[in-house]
Amino acid sequence: MGKRVAICAVAQVKNVPAYRQMRFQNMLLECFESIMEQTKVTFDLDKGIRNIVTCSDDVFDARTISNNGVTDVVGAHFRGEEKMAQESINGLGYAMASILSGHDDVILFMGHCKESQTESRRMCTNLAFDPFYCRPLGMDFQNVDALQARAYMEKSKVTDEHLATIVVRSRKNASRDPFARENRLVDEKEVMNSPMLADPIRQLHYYPVTDWAYGMLLCCEERVKEFTANPVWITGYGSCMDSYFIGDKDLASNFSLKNAAQRTFARAGIRDPRKDIQLFELCDHAAYQLPLWAEGIGIADESKGGAWIDEGGPDSYNVNLSGGQLNGNPLLLGGAARAIECFLQLRGEAGKRQVKGAKRALAHGTYGAAGQHQAVVIMEI
Amino acid sequence: MAHRKKNRNVGIIGIGQTKHSSHREDVNQPEMIHEAVSAALTDANLTMKDIDCIVHGNMELFEMVHQPDLWHTLGTGAYGKECIRITTGGTVGMTIACASDNLVASGLYDIVMAVGFEKLQEGHTTGGITNMADPLWFRNLQTGALTGSKAYELISEFGEERAKRASMMYRIIMDKHAGLNQYAHRSFGLEFEQLDDLIKSSPKLVGDLKLIEMCSQSDGACAVIFACEKKTKELSRHPVWIRDHITVHKEEVFQIFGYHKDYPVLQSHRFAADQLYKRNNIDKPLEYFDVFEMYDPASWWAVDWLRDFFQLRGDEHIMLVEEKEIMIDGKMPINPSGGVIGSNPIGATALIRVAEAALQIRGDAGKHQIPKPVKHALASGFGGTMWTVLMMLEKELNWQEADNGGILGNQR
Amino acid sequence: MAEYWGINVEDIFNSMKDRFRPEGATDVTASFGYDIREEGKWKVSVFHGTLAAVEKIDNLSGCVATMVTDGETFVGVNTGTVDATNAFMGGKVKVEGDMGAFGRTGRMFRKYVPPRKEMSTRDYLVDMFGTVESRFKKDAARDLDFIITIEVSGDAGGVWSVIIKNQSCTVVNDRVDNPTVTLEVADKDWVDLTLGKTDAQTLLAAGRGSVRGDIAIAMKWGEIFEKYVDPMGGGEPEQELLVLKKTISVGQKFSTGPIMGKFLNGLKAKKILANKCPKCGRMQLPAREICADCRVRVTDFVEVGPKGQVRYMEYVYYASPDPLTGETRETPYGMVNILLDGCTGNDTFAHLIRRDQIDLIKNGRDDTPGTRVRPVWNEKRVGSIFDIQHFEIDE
Repeated sequence: MGKRVAICAVAQVKNVPAYRQMRFQNMLLECFESIMEQTKVTFDLDKGIRNIVTCSDDVFDARTISNNGVTDVVGAHFRGEEKMAQESINGLGYAMASILSGHDDVILFMGHCKESQTESRRMCTNLAFDPFYCRPLGMDFQNVDALQARAYMEKSKVTDEHLATIVVRSRKNASRDPFARENRLVDEKEVMNSPMLADPIRQLHYYPVTDWAYGMLLCCEERVKEFTANPVWITGYGSCMDSYFIGDKDLASNFSLKNAAQRTFARAGIRDPRKDIQLFELCDHAAYQLPLWAEGIGIADESKGGAWIDEGGPDSYNVNLSGGQLNGNPLLLGGAARAIECFLQLRGEAGKRQVKGAKRALAHGTYGAAGQHQAVVIMEI
Repeated sequence: MAHRKKNRNVGIIGIGQTKHSSHREDVNQPEMIHEAVSAALTDANLTMKDIDCIVHGNMELFEMVHQPDLWHTLGTGAYGKECIRITTGGTVGMTIACASDNLVASGLYDIVMAVGFEKLQEGHTTGGITNMADPLWFRNLQTGALTGSKAYELISEFGEERAKRASMMYRIIMDKHAGLNQYAHRSFGLEFEQLDDLIKSSPKLVGDLKLIEMCSQSDGACAVIFACEKKTKELSRHPVWIRDHITVHKEEVFQIFGYHKDYPVLQSHRFAADQLYKRNNIDKPLEYFDVFEMYDPASWWAVDWLRDFFQLRGDEHIMLVEEKEIMIDGKMPINPSGGVIGSNPIGATALIRVAEAALQIRGDAGKHQIPKPVKHALASGFGGTMWTVLMMLEKELNWQEADNGGILGNQR
Repeated sequence: MAEYWGINVEDIFNSMKDRFRPEGATDVTASFGYDIREEGKWKVSVFHGTLAAVEKIDNLSGCVATMVTDGETFVGVNTGTVDATNAFMGGKVKVEGDMGAFGRTGRMFRKYVPPRKEMSTRDYLVDMFGTVESRFKKDAARDLDFIITIEVSGDAGGVWSVIIKNQSCTVVNDRVDNPTVTLEVADKDWVDLTLGKTDAQTLLAAGRGSVRGDIAIAMKWGEIFEKYVDPMGGGEPEQELLVLKKTISVGQKFSTGPIMGKFLNGLKAKKILANKCPKCGRMQLPAREICADCRVRVTDFVEVGPKGQVRYMEYVYYASPDPLTGETRETPYGMVNILLDGCTGNDTFAHLIRRDQIDLIKNGRDDTPGTRVRPVWNEKRVGSIFDIQHFEIDE
C-alpha cells in the first residue's frame, strides 16, 4: 500500500463483568470525551470528523439497528455513521480503507457491547446458525469451539496441562493492565480442576462475560500532525471467510486465518512474521486458540502448538501481553481490544507490561464458530 | 469529491436482483441471496473467482439471525474471500454500496460485490422496526415506521384536498412504474380515474397515512459488483461510475417537528443534498440529474422529500407531481422501477436504488427504461431516525467536461 | 352458478365445516358476512371458538364485518389463484365493518383444495390431443413439414392427425390425406405412453402398436412437443414447502445509567425531569447523556410540566404487536407529543392520550396552543415510562 493511515488516539473504559451503573451510551460517552480531549479534533464539515465507524451488534444490544442508540454519543448527529456489524478489527480495516479512498480525512471509530445484558451469550450465538439444522442441534460458538479444540489438540499435541499454563499466563499478564477485566490469579491446578463447559473446554479456558467500550481516531498521513505527535500507522489489513457447515471444513486447518494473514502480510510488505513483527495480539476466545492462531499466522510451526507452548513461544514472540481475549473482552470487540494494546505498546504507553523496541505489531480478530471469519491488521511506528 | 481527490475511480460492472415477492417459501435465505449473486455475476460475465471481497448487509433482528453473513456464506459465495458486514438500518443497502466504493477506491480490492437482502415474511416487520427504539421508553409507544406526521404537515401547508391528491397521484404513478418492472413486488393496475375513490376507500393506518400509500413488505435480494477503473474498462462495455456519496444521520429522537415558525428543524435530507451538491458544484439539481431513484417508504414522505432533495421552494415539488413530471417520460423521472412502495426487501431496498439508477444509465432497464438519454443519476437511501444516504452516478468518467450545459455552466 | 377454475362459490362455503381450524378461532364469538356479487350472501357464525353455522341468507345484519367482492375474486383468493393483498389494495375486495375482526377469518380455515375428479381414458385422450398445439415447440420444428396420424383403438379411441407445417402445428380429430406416418395404438397404451408410464420400444416390441410410413419422423415427437403435464398431478408428487415457525426470545437486563435512571426515578416520584443542555439550553425528554446538537455532556435536570399542550398527535388505526409482549394494543389510540410547561420549541415529550379523548385533541401550531393535557399517574410506580398511565385533557 502506498499511503499510510494513522491511529492518532485511543480511549477505553475498563473491561468489567457488568456495568450495572451505566448503559452503553454512558460507556461510549466516556471514550468520546477522551478522544476529543486528546486530539482536539472537531466536527467541522471541511476539516473535522465527517464520518464515524461504529461497531455493535443487534442481537447483543437487543435492538434493531443497534447503532441508532449511539448517534448522539459518538457525535454522529448530522454527520455520517456506518456500523461494522462484524468483528471490530474489520471496522479498523474499513476505516482505513475509507481514508485511503480519499473520501474521508478523519474517522472516529467507536464500539460497545454489554455481554452482561443478555440472559445467555450462548442463546445469542445459537442464533448465528441456520434455523433448520444446526440451531436445533444446539450449536453455539462455545460448543462448536469445543469440537475445534478436540481436533486441534489431537493434531498439535496440545494437552490439558498446556491449556492450564495459557490461562495462568493470561491472567498474570492482564493483572498488569489497568483496563483489563480484574480476574483472580489462578494456578495450573485450579485451571485443571475447573468444571467442563464443553469437553475439552473448561470454565477457566473460556473468556468470561464482559462489558466494554472503546474509541479511536484515525487520520490520513498528510494531516496527522494536527492530532498527534506520536501516530501509530496501520499498514495492512486482510480477512477471510471459511465455509459454514462444520462438516465442510478441517477445523484444525487454519484455512481462513492463513489466508487473512498472507493477504495482510502482502499488503504490509512483510516477508517473515517471526522476524518482521515484534508483538502479537491474538483473539483467543478459548485457551486452545492461542497456539492454534499462532500456527495460523506463522509464529508456531504447523502441528507443533504443544511444543511451542513448552518452548515458551508466547513470551519469546511477545504474544498477548494484555492477557488476550481470554482474560475478557466482549464478543466482536476482541479485535479492537487487541489493536488498542498494540497501539499502547508501540507508543511506549503500556506501563508495567511494556516491551522494548517493538516497531511493528499484529492485531487479530475472529468471530463465528471455530473462527469461521478471521482478520488481521498490521500496525507500525 | 469528498475530503480529498478520490484515490481511484470506481465503476459498477454487474447488477443482479431477485423477483421481489411476499411468497418466497420456495427458498431459504442463502438460496434467495444466491439468485441475486448469480444474476450479478452473469450480468458482469464473471465468476466468484474474480471477486476479491463481499460486503453483506441486512437487518438481523427481522429474521432473528445473529451475524447472518456466517450462514449466508452458502449463498454469497464468500468462502475463501474477504468479507465484511456493514449495517445501518433502512439505509443499509446504500451503505454497503458506499462501503464497496470506498473499499475499491482505497486500492485494497479491485472487485467488490455488495449483497443486500431481506426475507421480511420470516419475521414481523413493524414489530422489528419498533425494536429499534430505546427499550427504556420509546419502544413502548412507537409503531414501527408508521407515522401520519408527514401527511399532517403537507395538509397543513397545502390544504387537505391538494395534499391528499398529490400523495395519491404519486402513489398511482409509482404503481404504473411498478407495472413496467418485472422484478417489482406489487403493481395493482391503478388508474388516475381511481384517485378520488382511493383517497376515500383505502384503510387508514396512522392519521392520513393510508394502507395503499405505505411501502410493502417483501422478500428479495440484490447484488451489485464494483470494480476499479482499470478493471471496469477491461470488463464492462457500458460502465457506470460512482461520483460521490454522503451519509447523514440524526439523533434518536422521533418527535422533531418544527411546528413553530420560531423553531425550525434542520432536515437531514436537505442537509445531505446541500452538502453533496456544494462539494460537487451542482446548483440546479433538478436540471442536472436525468433520473432519481428515491427510497420512498410512503407516498406522503416521497412528495415532501422531493423538495428537500432537489432544493425546491414553495409548492414546486407538488407541481412536479401534479403535472406528472415525475413519470417515466416526464422532466424528472422518479423511480421508474416503481420504487420502495412497489418493492421493499429492506436490507436490499437501498441497494436496489443504486442498481436501478445504474441500469437507467446503462440503458438496460427494459420496459421501464426512460425514453431519453440518462447521463447523471441520483439514488437515495432512508432509514433509522430520518437518516439519509445519497449517491451520484455518472455515465461518463470525465463528467466534469462531459456535460457543458450542466455542471460547468452551473459552476459560473 | 358460475365456475372459476372449475370451482364455484358454493364449493367454498360448503367445505367450510371441514376446513375449520378451532386453534385459529380461540375466543372468537362473531358472525361474518360475505356478499358475493351475483352469487348471493352468506353468513358464517363462530361461537366460542367453534363453527356454529354457515348459512345462505338474504339479511347480513348482526355481522361484525362483511366482505364484498365478486365470485371470481372470492374463489381466486380462497384457492390461492388470486393474491389477497393485491385484490384488497386494488379495490376488488372491500370489507365493511370491523376490519381487524375480519382479519381473523384468515386463520380460521384451511386453504380450499379442489377435490380430485377421476379422469377416464377418454378424458385423458381428449386432454392430451387438446394440448398438443399448446405444447408445440416452434423452434424445434424448423424445416420440418409432415403429418402424423394416430389411430387409437378401443372404447375411448378415435383418430387424430397432427399437421406440422411452416413451424406451426394443427391438430384435427380426423384422418387427413397423405400422412407422413401413421401410428396404431390402443387407447390405454397411448395414455400410458404420454404419461411416461411406458415407452414406444416396449410397446412395439410387445406387438402392441404399429408404425406405417417414416418412423424417423415419429421418433421426433419428444423433441418437438413439451412434455404432457398430468392434470391429476400424477407421476412425482410435488414436494410440500415446509415453513418452520419459531418465536425467539432472549431475556435482557437493560441498565438505565445515571441520566435515564434519574429521569425514570423522577417518574416514580411523580416528577417529569428534563435535562437541559448547558450550551443551547434545549430541554431533553426523556433525558439524554449528551446534547446531540452541541456534543456536550448534559447533567443539569429541571422539573417540567406535568401539564402541557399537545403539539401533535399520531392517530393510530393500525397497531403493531408490542414487541415486548406480543400483544396488540386496542385501536384506535393516540400517541401525543406534548410541550410540557417549562419547555419550548420542539422539546416535546411523547406519551399516550386517554383513548376516549382522541377525537377531542387539537394540535398546537406556532403560537396557537394545542389541547391542554395532564398526566394520570399510576398508584403503584416502579420507575417506568408507564408510571404515567396516559395523559388526559386538563379541564
